[in-house]
Amino acid sequence: MRKNLVARLGVRTKRYALVIDSRKCINCKACVVACKAENDVPLGRFRNRINEETRGEFPKLLASFEPEQCHHCASASCVRVCPTGASWQRGDGLVLVDTDDCIGCGYCIIACPYNARFFNEETRVVDKCTMCVHRVDAGQPPACVETCPTKVRVFGDLEAPDGRLRELLSTRRYVVKSPQTGNDPHIFYLL
Amino acid sequence: MDEIRWGLLIVSYLFLGGMSAGLYFVSALATYLQDGGQPAYPRIARVGAMLAPWPVAIGSFLLIFDLGKWYRFYKLFLHFEWHSPMSIGSWLLVGFTLLSLAYFWAWLPAGVIDSVVSRLPKRLRVLGIVAWPGREGLRRPLAMAGFPLAVGVGIYTGVLLGAVQARPFWNTNLVAQMFLFSALSTGCAALILALSLHRDDLEAREARLLYSIDIVLILLELFIVIPYIVHGALSPLAVRQALALILGGPYTFAFWVLFLTLGLLVPLALELYEMKPVLLERASLHPNRVLAGATAALIIIGGFVLRYVFVYAGQVSSFQ
Repeated sequence: MRKNLVARLGVRTKRYALVIDSRKCINCKACVVACKAENDVPLGRFRNRINEETRGEFPKLLASFEPEQCHHCASASCVRVCPTGASWQRGDGLVLVDTDDCIGCGYCIIACPYNARFFNEETRVVDKCTMCVHRVDAGQPPACVETCPTKVRVFGDLEAPDGRLRELLSTRRYVVKSPQTGNDPHIFYLL
Repeated sequence: MDEIRWGLLIVSYLFLGGMSAGLYFVSALATYLQDGGQPAYPRIARVGAMLAPWPVAIGSFLLIFDLGKWYRFYKLFLHFEWHSPMSIGSWLLVGFTLLSLAYFWAWLPAGVIDSVVSRLPKRLRVLGIVAWPGREGLRRPLAMAGFPLAVGVGIYTGVLLGAVQARPFWNTNLVAQMFLFSALSTGCAALILALSLHRDDLEAREARLLYSIDIVLILLELFIVIPYIVHGALSPLAVRQALALILGGPYTFAFWVLFLTLGLLVPLALELYEMKPVLLERASLHPNRVLAGATAALIIIGGFVLRYVFVYAGQVSSFQ
């Protein structure tokens, strides 16, 4: 999305975030497919993924699935290192790439602690999850959220006092990934 | 990281940029040191000035061709992002390259300019003003102006990596200094190599200056490498896991054998051996050209390996 000064500096009335209840995830990968279809992601590349972990032996075993994508960090290291300002953050927290200003140096790809960015061989610039900003601005949820059959993902606005996100984060225990990098990530994993 | 994003082009650029910084630094030092109103080491100053602009110029081209869209490199200069080391670095690089070209011109022998100009068609002979004799007076001011920029370019290549908190292998306050001293040392080594290949012999006093500088720089590198490893091994888990890449991991051989032993300790021993008459017997040294050339080549290869190990291992290291 083209960098927009108003969206960048505008008064913060919203803070979009994602809450993930990974215990509900069945690894069907509908979110991955929906994202690729919605955003025309090149073959072999993904804006979101499901981290799998298996442990133990039958019958005492565990298989856990953890969806992950850009954490739309409050203190995003990718935005900080970008030499042209192509990586930018809107006032509502969404971290985006202005593909007209991106020179494809790859610094942000290396600076992201979550490996959420990749080099798009077709556009020759950096690509990442936009939280389906085109849908969000039209009042719809991101494609991955809408398609999830087991309702693992909850998308919403942290600033909305009666919102579902506030309710979940007030009543449930949760963690964020690798907080020690200081990025202040905004995907919250329910425990 | 699943893949290596910055490859050998970036490694080569970091190496070449550092070498130019080192060449300029040592040459500027030789310009600064005077003996009875005359430059004390004119040959070191001149050869350094002749060589300094080219590695960084080649390196900048490599940097541009590593971009996803190389023709968009000009966008680096439409923006200044003070929080991005790459943005600061690209401005520094342009300033340093222009300054090193000016310094090159200030040291260019008049005979070379005259012989080039005399071969030009008549209408272009006005270019002979390039041989303006007053440029000699610019040597010292340019040398002084170059110190901060050369140090800036040398240290920036390390800051570029060290400022990434997502990569624990880089994210220490020692990488920038390590790259700086290594850069100055490879520049010094390039001068030793160039003078040892020169048709006139490497003079004893020149060898003494260059060896003295380089011994100090290698010792400074050792002062940094040892704490880097010791401190890293005593750090939180992510740093220890990152350090495992050179302590038994895939980059162990390159780091310990090619960089630390062949690129630092062996050259240090050879330089101390050459300096022995000066250090122990208060006599003048008799530089051995073959030994000088071999020492310099080892330092240069070691400097390249250091950047290779850091760029590659750093990208593999992570918090997950």
